[in-house]
Amino acid sequence: MSHDLGFWTLQALNALQLSMLLFLLSIGLTVIFGLMHFVNLAHGSLYALGAYFAASLAAVGGYWAGFFLAPVAVAGVGVLLYSGLIRRMRKSGPMAQVLVTFGLIFALLDLTRIIWGDLALAIEVPALLDGRVALLGVEYPTYRLFVIALGAVIFAGLAFVLGRTQIGAMIRAGVDNDAMAACLGINVERLFFMVFCVGCALAGLAGAVAAPLLSVTPDMGLQILIPTLIVIVIGGLGSLRGAVAGSLIFGFVQTFGAVLAPQLASVLIYALLAAVLVIKPVGLFPAKG
Amino acid sequence: MFRHTALRYTALVLLASGALFQALTAEYFGLEILTEILILAMLVLALDIVAGFGGMVSLCHGALMGVGAYAYAILSTKAGLAPPVAMAGAIALTGATGWVIGAVCARSHGIYFIMATLAFGQMAYSYVFEAPIFGGDDGLGGISRLDLSLIGVDLNDSRSFALFCLALLGAVYGASVLILRSGLGRSLSGVMHNEQRMRALGLTVWRIKADVFGLSGMIAGLAGALAAQHIMYISPGLLSWTVSGEALVVVILGGLGTLVGPLVGAAAFVVLKHELSAVTTYWHLVVGVLLIAVVMSRANGIFGWIEARWGIWVERRVADATRKQDPEEVTGDA
Repeated sequence: MSHDLGFWTLQALNALQLSMLLFLLSIGLTVIFGLMHFVNLAHGSLYALGAYFAASLAAVGGYWAGFFLAPVAVAGVGVLLYSGLIRRMRKSGPMAQVLVTFGLIFALLDLTRIIWGDLALAIEVPALLDGRVALLGVEYPTYRLFVIALGAVIFAGLAFVLGRTQIGAMIRAGVDNDAMAACLGINVERLFFMVFCVGCALAGLAGAVAAPLLSVTPDMGLQILIPTLIVIVIGGLGSLRGAVAGSLIFGFVQTFGAVLAPQLASVLIYALLAAVLVIKPVGLFPAKG
Repeated sequence: MFRHTALRYTALVLLASGALFQALTAEYFGLEILTEILILAMLVLALDIVAGFGGMVSLCHGALMGVGAYAYAILSTKAGLAPPVAMAGAIALTGATGWVIGAVCARSHGIYFIMATLAFGQMAYSYVFEAPIFGGDDGLGGISRLDLSLIGVDLNDSRSFALFCLALLGAVYGASVLILRSGLGRSLSGVMHNEQRMRALGLTVWRIKADVFGLSGMIAGLAGALAAQHIMYISPGLLSWTVSGEALVVVILGGLGTLVGPLVGAAAFVVLKHELSAVTTYWHLVVGVLLIAVVMSRANGIFGWIEARWGIWVERRVADATRKQDPEEVTGDA
């Protein structure tokens, strides 16, 4: 195959953009798991909710209203879920959690259909980010660059909070050994709650950001769930590094696989996941050693 | 180890006679629903063996069923094999697939096992979806049913097909009980309760898991081959992970690790689905809320709940009887 440099740049940017979207989703899921040992399959549904909230808010107050308020709204839904269900399921085994959140997927899927209908919604890209930018010899949509930049900013912010602040130290202590952290006077329960809300907000943000790129449909949460799970299992549950590594691996394997070996592309990522699970069952960068 | 109690026998007799009655009296639509229940029951039996008795919560059983369905379709149409041979081939192939998945995932536990099986299921799904030989998104049609005209049965009649599925389900149930009571089944429950100890006793744990997963895969393959013959058309949707998730829901709704419970669950789930979808298009909402309620109630599904109630009732009766026999001893204790 002969492709010029521009082609590779384009594909790399596409891969990066997909990776960043997945990163926004998987970081919440993975930290919730690492800290709470809670498997939230409904994380994808929260992403879909984020997209719907963004679509509704954008229709009223423009794109930026959706962008800033949708994560807040999804975090609100997260508060409801936490106090209603998740707090009670904390001590249950993984199967009960998987099933309850699977039930939530069903329920939220139909609730979005009841509220917003079956038809796909669309959001306009804001005027500020509309258009294309010349970059390394290719014309690339500004909005997609914005997604990449946003992912990078969120990553930097989280890396700073988790690595350099007291809250971050408390979260890391909780992930490492929650009983010991509680003994040292950290209110682990409140920490869990905070992290859960932030995770939900990030899922909502991912939904709001993805809305102009994809069409907003009730099953978008189901579609993104499997890639997100693959990302966190490849990366290792519970770690920021794992979420980034997993997202990048998924984004690049998926994008370049589709270009270089279209026949194998979809199987490739699952084969990679199976290989990781066989060789390193806890993922590449697990939070605990 | 799996044991039959009086309650389980009663439930089995009730279920079997209900299914038989339905198969003999129902009209076309009722027979279609019955066949759907019977095939789903077969799949959830397979799932209950691994999840309820081996602790291996699998999210790839829908995909295994799909592998069976596609294997039957390809072998009987494109490879031109006779339907019975194709069916045997489909069962063998699905069993082998299950064995490999079980062997590879044997080291994973808990949530990692769920994820690993999910990954394999999705792998099969996307492969079937992409590969041109499987017809991609359009699926495959023109699948013929087994020809039993030799013994005077025409399976193209929905009543005979329902009875045929019922007979096979009975056989599968018997086989499942035999598997669980065999040395393999006993080792399996040992592994579920204390894997470390079983290893220390000298058992090859991964082999046990893989063997049981393979047997369970064979049952799922049979269910798949029947599903392909039932609808005579298959699409990749059969392998989607939500099918596996639904199968798990049915097992939980019925009662994990009771073998009878999942049969109850399958009947309840399909009937509920049809009744609800006749009333509202939002039946997923009801199923979702029901599932959450069942899991949060901490009862082991419908049948598990009945068994627990029954156990309490029997205990109380025994206590009453001893009190009548020996009033002094009881009052002396108090």
